[in-house]
Amino acid sequence: MTRTRIAAILVAFALLALVPLVVTDSYVRHLFIIAFIYAVVASNWDLSLGYTGLFNFGHLTFFGVGVYTAAILAETVELSPWAAILCGGITAALAALLISAPVARLKGIYVVLVTFAFSQLAMQVVLSQSDITGGAEGIVRIPYLQVGDYRFIRDYNLAYYYTAFAMLCVSTVFLLAVVASPFGKSLRALRDNPDYAASRGISVARQRIMSLVLSAVFTGIAGGFYAIYLRVASPEVFGFGTLSLALSMVLIGGVGTIIGPVLAALFLTFLTEAMAGIRGLEDARFIVVALAMILVLRLAPGGSIEMLSRLRLGAGFRSRRETTDTAGNRS
Amino acid sequence: MSNPILEVDRASRTFGGLKAVQEVSFSVEEGEIFGVAGPNGSGKSTLFNLITGIPFPPTSGSIVFGGTRIDGKSPHAIARSGLARTFQKDAEFPDLSARETMLIGASYAGGMSGRQAGHAADDALELVSFPEDRRDVESGHLSVYEKKQLMIGSALVSNPRILMLDEPASGLTRPEIAALDKLLLDVNRTGVTILLIEHVLSLLLSVSERLLVLNQGQILASGDPQEVIRDPKVIEAYLGGRK
Repeated sequence: MTRTRIAAILVAFALLALVPLVVTDSYVRHLFIIAFIYAVVASNWDLSLGYTGLFNFGHLTFFGVGVYTAAILAETVELSPWAAILCGGITAALAALLISAPVARLKGIYVVLVTFAFSQLAMQVVLSQSDITGGAEGIVRIPYLQVGDYRFIRDYNLAYYYTAFAMLCVSTVFLLAVVASPFGKSLRALRDNPDYAASRGISVARQRIMSLVLSAVFTGIAGGFYAIYLRVASPEVFGFGTLSLALSMVLIGGVGTIIGPVLAALFLTFLTEAMAGIRGLEDARFIVVALAMILVLRLAPGGSIEMLSRLRLGAGFRSRRETTDTAGNRS
Repeated sequence: MSNPILEVDRASRTFGGLKAVQEVSFSVEEGEIFGVAGPNGSGKSTLFNLITGIPFPPTSGSIVFGGTRIDGKSPHAIARSGLARTFQKDAEFPDLSARETMLIGASYAGGMSGRQAGHAADDALELVSFPEDRRDVESGHLSVYEKKQLMIGSALVSNPRILMLDEPASGLTRPEIAALDKLLLDVNRTGVTILLIEHVLSLLLSVSERLLVLNQGQILASGDPQEVIRDPKVIEAYLGGRK
């Protein structure tokens, strides 16, 4: 990653840290919180999908496992909501370990089928075990976060905003550190040429398992936070709608970039919400997102990061041409 | 000779009804350069695949490396045991630079970490004379010769006991082949055993101490390279019966 890109990321995150000072409306803050949660989910999905090349369509299952872990532990077991959120990360990692056993040695479409079947299985377990999970109605009135006497539900989402933002910051730093490490480079090697990677001592199965487990940790924590923040756990989190929205964030943002899905999560959350407020476009917003995904895959498969790079290269080229024209050295 | 580092015993590989490699047996002595030749489709690369387990092990037979049976072991474990290979087609990690590719080999196959891996990567790049100003370029943007250098270097970086090269001279110019000839001899002098598949006979005969010729998945001839290439069966297999 270039210094310019690191500087741009730091500036963007600094601006996000200042948002609540300017934006006092609790609904807009709520949108940011949802966007941060999706950003964590999408960027962590990028680790297994973009960096490892694993067509893992069960990533939202890890999110759902986090949601239900936190909900059950906080509501039923009466564990501290903070601890319940963290436990969401642990159970999601365990779920990833479970699914990685059959996935580690599979290729292409078979990975899609197994991971998708796993997500459907998880949803059926949630629906069938209604005594624990609340079945189709889910779990409601989950305890909220508080620090001492400070209750997070009485400050126009200020504390929740910073908690979600902190989660996104830690998750992003974690992901960037992982992809920059020798382990991260081995994932890219494995994705681009598995045989060559194996001939250089990389264990295909082990790296895939590690990638899935690592991508599940913060996804599960985000799921736990989602349940505690919204105070509800519903089987909808395993549904195709949530999955396709998160996938569109990864693809539109740019696979194998980490930052791309974060940007796309922010952009798409506000775009879909803005469109929901326009009469006649309430349901069309998902069609627009799907069309955007198709267009991006067709025109710039690398997503928004690739488009930004192209724009920058184009601007650089134009700038150089203008310089030479002005100097009169070349036509 | 009595110190085999690699022993292949009746190794076979079938794909449905096709017998790609049939009952091939040979051994390679520690420290030698062992050549493998044969017409296209004779099973040379398949033989490499069986030995390294990439992408498949033998259907039957055994492969012993350094006294340990390795057929049935996972490919990465075979690589870590000191058996490094290159591929016939250009192989690269397009997103990784030359140095990063070397670090992969040093870290995983060589079991090195930190500075040790860094030094090994730099040494291997020097050994294959990889241009200094191209070491941070992504591999996808390298020339054919640079990719060859990188593939050989990334095999050498882990200090393997055997280096298996699959047609390293294909697509190279004469000066590049001459440089490759020198490199192979230099590497061999450091104690690395080399197993070499090559169509460029001048290179193969120049460096090989023994030569094995395959045809239709079976051994046609083996022994002293100069004698093997004069074998009428070998001439017929290569030239289709012309005298």
